[in-house]
Amino acid sequence: MRKENPDAAGVLNLVEQQFVACPQPAYATLLARHRVATAAVIGAPILSRYEDVVWALRHPQLFSSQMDIHLGLGTERPMIPLQYDPPAQTRYRKILDQRFSRDRSLELEPAVRRHANQLIDGFIDQGRCEFDAAFAIPLPCRAFLSLMGLPQEDLDLFIELKDGIIRPPVPPADLVAAFEFRRDTGQRIYAYFEGVIDARLAEPRDDVMSYLTAAEIDGERLTRHEILDICFLFLLGGLDTVTASLGCMLAYLAGHPEQRRRLARDPALIPSAVEELLRWETPVMLVPRVTTQAVTVGDVELPAGALVNLLLGAADVDEAEFSDATRVDFARERNRHVAFGGGPHRCLGSHLARMELRAALAEWHRRIPEYDLQPGETPRVSHGIREVQYLPLVWPADAGTAAAP
Amino acid sequence: MRIRLDIDRCVGHGRCYDLAAALFEPDERGHCRVRAAQVPAAHATLARHAVANCPEDALALDED
Repeated sequence: MRKENPDAAGVLNLVEQQFVACPQPAYATLLARHRVATAAVIGAPILSRYEDVVWALRHPQLFSSQMDIHLGLGTERPMIPLQYDPPAQTRYRKILDQRFSRDRSLELEPAVRRHANQLIDGFIDQGRCEFDAAFAIPLPCRAFLSLMGLPQEDLDLFIELKDGIIRPPVPPADLVAAFEFRRDTGQRIYAYFEGVIDARLAEPRDDVMSYLTAAEIDGERLTRHEILDICFLFLLGGLDTVTASLGCMLAYLAGHPEQRRRLARDPALIPSAVEELLRWETPVMLVPRVTTQAVTVGDVELPAGALVNLLLGAADVDEAEFSDATRVDFARERNRHVAFGGGPHRCLGSHLARMELRAALAEWHRRIPEYDLQPGETPRVSHGIREVQYLPLVWPADAGTAAAP
Repeated sequence: MRIRLDIDRCVGHGRCYDLAAALFEPDERGHCRVRAAQVPAAHATLARHAVANCPEDALALDED
């Protein structure tokens, strides 16, 4: 029999397949019984309530994002702006927010729609695809290359570099091999972007890399190290998260034909459906913080220096914030989900992600409105960031009537 | 009906100007700017909807 997760003592196994594939029942247990739960193995406290998670996100002076875990991610320095707190973080965000605003993000929408259609062209006649490899991985990667002003031919290299950091191809228990692989991949990432910085300094273009080489904070240009530390974060934060969101959304829609048909029939619903699916699935289910001093949550005291997991996914199904929280309602009136976090570290790429997700869902359902999970198959979901790494979809092979615009 | 914005709370989610472009617009950083604090009667429902969806509690409404 399956061991209860979380168990009676509030210990949650965050990597169990059943949990990552369908975490909402476990979230409900945490919300009802364990205001401060505990992560299995690492023993770190977990906050789940919407009010606690939002409070922590809004108080970086208590729950810091400045932590040493970057050392294990192949980086030589903290990533910018995520691993800095205000006020240093605020100075970076001022220039980055401008370039990642909603309106600047919308400029990229035609390219994203074009990439989406080109990918669909490649498999629509076959009546089937493995969604992660065929669509969810390459689409955000192509969008990222367009945004940064990098050649589309570098697609495979980029996928290899981000995977080398996020999931190094070594035996899972071999921590030394993983550390070395990440370190070596990190060096390749630095070297790649060093070359791009040199090229853009010599010949600026209208792209994010040129923007970074010219941007000034209080009259001073960013240093080469600062630009590299920003690029590293873009590579780690900008690709996998949208990949995971696309997979979670298509897996949900494949499993809920009525909801899918509603969306395919009425594309005007897509923006609010994206918000609701971000809430329900919360693909980035947790974010880590470190306490800067002893902090009391309910009747539990968290010591100073504690690694705390903010379980965004649980907060997003908290009945105290969301009425009828377990119902997926594409027309939800009030939806203040924290799928992009909140407070000063609100996801820098949230506008870009929203644009990509809306454009991708619109193009996909315009061209493939009817699809199912391949009978007899079970999707496989990764832990941490919930990427649906195996999602075999099938559809009537003659369904693809609408061609690319 | 009047809109009150606490700009120190805004972090640029952009829900307000996405949901109610008639009432809000982004500043150059993508944070909230209120087009006109006084809400025309025709936009009362829109204003309530946008204010209710601010994830940072940066917006409030003073009903007449």
